[in-house]
Amino acid sequence: MIRIAFAGKGGSGKSSISGTFARLLARTDRPVLAVDSDPLPGMAYSLGIPVDDRPAPDDVVVEGPEGGPRWVLRPGLDAGGFIDQYAEAGPDGVRYLQFGNSWGHWSTLQRGQHAWSQVVKEMDPNAWNVVGDLPGGTRQAMFGWAKYADVLAIVAEPTPKSIQVAKRLRNITKADWSPDHVVVVANRVSGPEDVRRISDALERPVIGAVPDDPAVTAADKQAVAPLNGGAGPFVDAVAELVTQVESTYDLDIRSSD
Amino acid sequence: MLSSVPHTDTVIVADLEAGIGTLTRLPEQAVEHTLVIVEPTPRSIDVGKRAVQVATERAQGNITVVANKVADDEDNERVRSAFAEFKVVTVPTDPVVIKADRQGVSPVDIDAEAPAVAAIGKLVNLLG
Amino acid sequence: MRVAVVGKGGSGKTSVSGVLARSFARAGHNVVGLDCDTNPNLGLSLGVGDLETERLLSLRDQIDEGEQSHAHTWDDILQTYGTDAPDGVRLTVVNRIDNPEPD
Repeated sequence: MIRIAFAGKGGSGKSSISGTFARLLARTDRPVLAVDSDPLPGMAYSLGIPVDDRPAPDDVVVEGPEGGPRWVLRPGLDAGGFIDQYAEAGPDGVRYLQFGNSWGHWSTLQRGQHAWSQVVKEMDPNAWNVVGDLPGGTRQAMFGWAKYADVLAIVAEPTPKSIQVAKRLRNITKADWSPDHVVVVANRVSGPEDVRRISDALERPVIGAVPDDPAVTAADKQAVAPLNGGAGPFVDAVAELVTQVESTYDLDIRSSD
Repeated sequence: MLSSVPHTDTVIVADLEAGIGTLTRLPEQAVEHTLVIVEPTPRSIDVGKRAVQVATERAQGNITVVANKVADDEDNERVRSAFAEFKVVTVPTDPVVIKADRQGVSPVDIDAEAPAVAAIGKLVNLLG
Repeated sequence: MRVAVVGKGGSGKTSVSGVLARSFARAGHNVVGLDCDTNPNLGLSLGVGDLETERLLSLRDQIDEGEQSHAHTWDDILQTYGTDAPDGVRLTVVNRIDNPEPD
């Protein structure tokens, strides 16, 4: 089983890549849970789920015991039950867990976030391969929201702004909860020199190189998933990324902890 | 900090954090103008709408929408119809901006007359 | 006059901010570019180059880590955490950090 989270500058293409990755991984007949911790969620589009605001109801959490987190899952509801009931079913069998959309219900968002982090922390590590989409920038990732991941995949474009954010994300390795593997996925590259530019700047293994594909831009404008929009080179590159991950990490071995 | 700026004739252009986080934490009436930058994609328009709602609720001055990276009339229309009740300024997709981004320089220093630079320059009169 | 620039990540927010600030300056205004992003790179779009942008970034990090005393007045901030950009624009980075972790 693998738990991989995608991070990077806003607009670097995390959501497109992570959603497509989740679906292509699910096509290998493995259970895949897509987790979106962006309060402005974008992974639903790329998964092909026509829902971008499906928060769990307020009563999934109750006030926690003193000294612990403020909100905990209500008695009788565990992480597995939460996923069964509230994770959206999407194409290719992917289940989608949304962190809570900040649109319209500011006051209740915090409860949803507590529920989300508790579910991700406590779910059966052998039940799901987890593919995560973190919000743009470094803030959420650096403050521990990527704790669930074994692999942090930093999505970087061949621009100084994108590389700068990627460099800061790389500092996550200094945290004691750092994901075991911090790798790079180069996006919107127009050739090997772009990939080299990114790998030289970041000094981390580049496990995938995704070309600039106008079909993805077109799919974005129509709000359709890259997999449903006929995006060729993009989808091929993400499929290669799945193969790369399959050959590097054993997705069928069950975790012992 | 924005609201503590002394009232002078200085123009302050504040590039806020991506998303709407900073906007929700700004004190009310912290600025005279809010520019909402939107790409012609539903996701970007969605975030733009949230930003407009927050800026309106918190009285962050006059709201102007900038339709950015517009490739054709269809793109333009997608943004304009989503923000029908607001002033929308169109900035075209421009290879100069893409080049500037890749090189880490200002578009102004590559070509001050480039179409996108000229379109953004028009905001000076509109806001001033 | 104060102008706030907002938008989704990748929308071109920083490019527009940089070009707008330069345009105001070229029209004869006194201009301050205020970088409020947690990943400040307005400097690149203003044309100060990546070395200076990185320098301001590490200055900002020092404020976050409490190694620098916080500047209090507007002029102090412009002076201490700022740099000169082309066309007479003054660029400054703003310290702001908050912890969204729930526990």
